[in-house]
Amino acid sequence: MKKECIAMLLAGGQGSRLYVLTENMAKPAVPFGGKFRIIDFPLSNCTNAGIDTVGVLTQYRPLELNSYIGSGQPWDLDRDNGGVHILPPYQSATGASWYKGTANAIYQNIGFVDMYDPDYVVVLSGDHIYKMDYADMVAQHKRAGAACTISVMEVPWSEASRFGIMSVDGEDNITEFAEKPKEPKSNLASMGIYVFSWSKMREYLIADENDPASDNDFGKNIIPAMLGKGEKMIAYRFAGYWKDVGTLDSLWDANMDMLATGSGLDLLERDWPIYGRSISAPPAFLGKESCVEHSVIARGCIVGGKAENSVLSVSSVIEEGASVEYSILMPGAVVKKGAQVSYAIIGENTVVGENASIGALPDGKEGWGITVVGPETKVPDGYILAANHMLSKNMKEVAR
Amino acid sequence: MNGLHGIIFSYEKEPGLRELVEHRMPASIPFGGRYRIVDFMLSNMHNAGITDVGVVLHGNYQSLLDHVGNGKTWDMSRKYGGLRMLPPFASNRRYQSEEFRGKMEALAGVRSYLEEIRQDYVVLADSDLIINIPLTKVYEAHLLSGADITCVCTPHYRETEDATFFQLGKDNKVVKTLCDPKKPEGYHCLEIYVLRKELLLKLVDDCAAEEKVSFRRDVLNGMLDALDVRGYVWEGLAAQIRTLKEYYDRSMELLNPAPYLELFAPGRPILAKEDDEAPTYLAPGSKVVNSLIADGCIIEGTVENSILFPGVRIGKGTSVKNSVIFKGVQIEEDASVSYIIADKYVQIRRGGTLTGHENYPMAISKNTVI
Repeated sequence: MKKECIAMLLAGGQGSRLYVLTENMAKPAVPFGGKFRIIDFPLSNCTNAGIDTVGVLTQYRPLELNSYIGSGQPWDLDRDNGGVHILPPYQSATGASWYKGTANAIYQNIGFVDMYDPDYVVVLSGDHIYKMDYADMVAQHKRAGAACTISVMEVPWSEASRFGIMSVDGEDNITEFAEKPKEPKSNLASMGIYVFSWSKMREYLIADENDPASDNDFGKNIIPAMLGKGEKMIAYRFAGYWKDVGTLDSLWDANMDMLATGSGLDLLERDWPIYGRSISAPPAFLGKESCVEHSVIARGCIVGGKAENSVLSVSSVIEEGASVEYSILMPGAVVKKGAQVSYAIIGENTVVGENASIGALPDGKEGWGITVVGPETKVPDGYILAANHMLSKNMKEVAR
Repeated sequence: MNGLHGIIFSYEKEPGLRELVEHRMPASIPFGGRYRIVDFMLSNMHNAGITDVGVVLHGNYQSLLDHVGNGKTWDMSRKYGGLRMLPPFASNRRYQSEEFRGKMEALAGVRSYLEEIRQDYVVLADSDLIINIPLTKVYEAHLLSGADITCVCTPHYRETEDATFFQLGKDNKVVKTLCDPKKPEGYHCLEIYVLRKELLLKLVDDCAAEEKVSFRRDVLNGMLDALDVRGYVWEGLAAQIRTLKEYYDRSMELLNPAPYLELFAPGRPILAKEDDEAPTYLAPGSKVVNSLIADGCIIEGTVENSILFPGVRIGKGTSVKNSVIFKGVQIEEDASVSYIIADKYVQIRRGGTLTGHENYPMAISKNTVI
């Protein structure tokens, strides 16, 4: 049963900043990039890196996520020894509690980790879009003999105060960690990806649990505690594409990055494939009168109208005379005849009624923003949803 | 447990399919932008709740084995039963080298498998048929009529090589069978048959004893007096793919919404092996109309009236018209192709021009570089 390295994927977050998109599902289950879900990225990175044992810590609205992960077969993670395991909070002899924080989630599953007796544990989160070889990060961790390695990337100085910022010495030893500092001393941002030596991590998780004042959070508690005790902590520098898709704007941006050749997000490149659960749909059908320009289009789409600079996910439909621009149609979304969708995210299986108008072009005025319609929503014919507004399944409309 | 067991035949070589069968059996010819022809019958069986299927094989079946794998795609990777590939068994040495001359000979080659079938009824089908048919309805009709054999047939004949026809009498009783007649008449037989397992075994033994090899000639025709054979009339889309022209015409039909929506009805999905490709990218300046586009393509040129399989690259300034382009084909910049069928991994270099004809599409063999 022993594994040198296993991964623990924190997928319990509610994703409240995705608002209507996460009313009924956890953030990692949110569709991305036309045919994927956010969690496909860390799971595929694991399998591509040769990590065959992954614990997925779930808590908020896990139904969608659990059935999506299933046996793990799409990511080649259906293994006799190891594989993917869903780990919800559970009841024990001494009582039961929800996961209080990221560190507590793993603390509550110390028994699971111990089963595999790993030397290293990779801690991942379920809200980032990126391709990364964790094996390379673990190799650096081993070479350095570190207790903890944190992957970092350089961000523009002007944005550094939005991130957890690491200060390092000349050998990339982490000397200081500051969560969203007002005056950042470095522009190396933590990507929320950690490698720990399990024996050390175990020690700190137990100590943290015994501290009633702790928030039981990796960034707020565990990392500062380890730094305070002088543990060897190293930065792992990452230079590829990475985006946190925890907000509606960043989710829209990351989808649009598929259209921007310079963005670095290339899902068609085959060296590091992203896997997802198989979807049975025929090839996309672009009709005689269709006009699709500069877009990403997935299987099952039927286009009779017009699309420009958009992401058309699996089995989405644009009827004759309808037009979609700078928008994301999530799987199964339908835009009926004569409807207009601009700068918007249309949720899964939502139907935009005939001649409805969703969102509007940014015309340089202040206050424009992405318009969002939640999943499974029936937008009536002729309905007008202004820019920067949200509409949910129960037809509740709010300004963002 | 469902009462139906599936048998799919894949032994006919169909030389009329020319370049498309150089490296594979007709069953594993790519069709419809992301499928292999056999996916249709396997999916029909899956959608009817059938979990146990035997595929009777002879010939160059490596590509077919690669494609169907353990049958997981159709939920046929089961602890008991599931999908079984059936090359002629070693104990039946006489079938090892020659081709099968007919279904009865093919079945005799796997007789020991037939004996082990757990279900009472068997549905026999060819692997060269494009159809989305609810087989449960055929099965129910068979049980209801009390017929010995129920055969699916269509009143809408479209030119097919070596077709079989029925004349139907009262209660759709087959009163006459015509094999490959000069002039088509009556109902075109789609070679999907439902019958009792016990009857099938008896017919296999009777035919073997008399050196009879053909289901349609020796059973349907030869034993018509002794058997109650009925037609099940199918009004929907159906196409047997036996020549390159048939392949091309039936492919192009999918560019009309009605056949596309019928064949790919969401309630009875056609399932294919996952290609793990990201969605297709249509670059600025590209143009795609009236076409079927699979995942994983990068299109910078113009595509019209065409079908693109996964992972195709179409360069800037290139025009693709009226063509079927298989997986992984690369057509570089400023090329122009029309009425072609490009097999897997064909490469057409910058500036190349290739034109077939509507009546004689040009097929380009796998891996060719032009």
